[in-house]
Amino acid sequence: MSPDDFALLQPHLQLVHTELRQTLIAPNEPVKQLFFPETGYVSMVTQGSQGDKVEAALIGWEGIVGASPVLLGTDRTPHHSFVQAPGKMLVIDKSALCAAVDQSPSLHKLLLRYTQVLLVEAVQTAFVNASYQIEVRLARWVVMCHDRVDGDELTMTHDFVAMMLGVQRSSATLAVQALEGLLLIKAKRGRMTVRDRQGLIDLADGGYGLPEAEYARLIEGA
Amino acid sequence: MPRYFFSLRHRPGENGLAVDHEGDELADETLVRAHALHVARETIAKDRMVTIRDWMVCSFEITDEAGRHIMTVPFSEVVSDEDDED
Repeated sequence: MSPDDFALLQPHLQLVHTELRQTLIAPNEPVKQLFFPETGYVSMVTQGSQGDKVEAALIGWEGIVGASPVLLGTDRTPHHSFVQAPGKMLVIDKSALCAAVDQSPSLHKLLLRYTQVLLVEAVQTAFVNASYQIEVRLARWVVMCHDRVDGDELTMTHDFVAMMLGVQRSSATLAVQALEGLLLIKAKRGRMTVRDRQGLIDLADGGYGLPEAEYARLIEGA
Repeated sequence: MPRYFFSLRHRPGENGLAVDHEGDELADETLVRAHALHVARETIAKDRMVTIRDWMVCSFEITDEAGRHIMTVPFSEVVSDEDDED
């Protein structure tokens, strides 16, 4: 983001500490605030009729939570965004963000480009869920979480892993064991340590990397 | 509510058990079997894994909070329990 665009937003940004599983954007309710995670990350999920959720995208320091409905001109979304890893986030009122976007074409373009990256990520997740087995999907997801934390440690229960991948908890446990057996991660109750990031990317077999490359091209290269 | 742990047996031996440390809360033991069969059915229907060629050889080894073995529910029972309601 250019210094000028940041200066437009800066007076309206407020630092908040988020909690695990805190809802940032509730499904089908008007979006009032948007969030720029500084640390921690957020899951954007869709919910089935049985209450089962599957993750479509992860949003951390690279992104903004609430961008797609607000930038695309609607006040709500059926998707649920909640905190998966707690941390510090900058929050801005929707009206302040919209005013800044109206004032600055470059800010508008940047946020629209991020929305495109988010779409690419969600489509990639659909592709990976349809095409790959659970161990491979877990490898991709661990790398995506690793991208959004400092250090190598990730905190997550198997129940949570299962929910994010849309699988049974016992299958998630088996997949964690399989990655551990390949020496790619180290797992303890409720926590994982990344041991071999490149090994995880290799196992993800092309499932990881496309949205990340689009991010580099559209946002970092802009 | 008591918590029951559904460890997944997929091969003989120590490495063939995916130990469940998290568990599920169920009102009592009579619901344990129905829950195991429900999860087994969902797993067979949806979960595709490199590690598992055939879910039908797997079973849930179920323990309570004290670590006592409650029951073993083979996935193959899903077939004979078609009209088992969850």
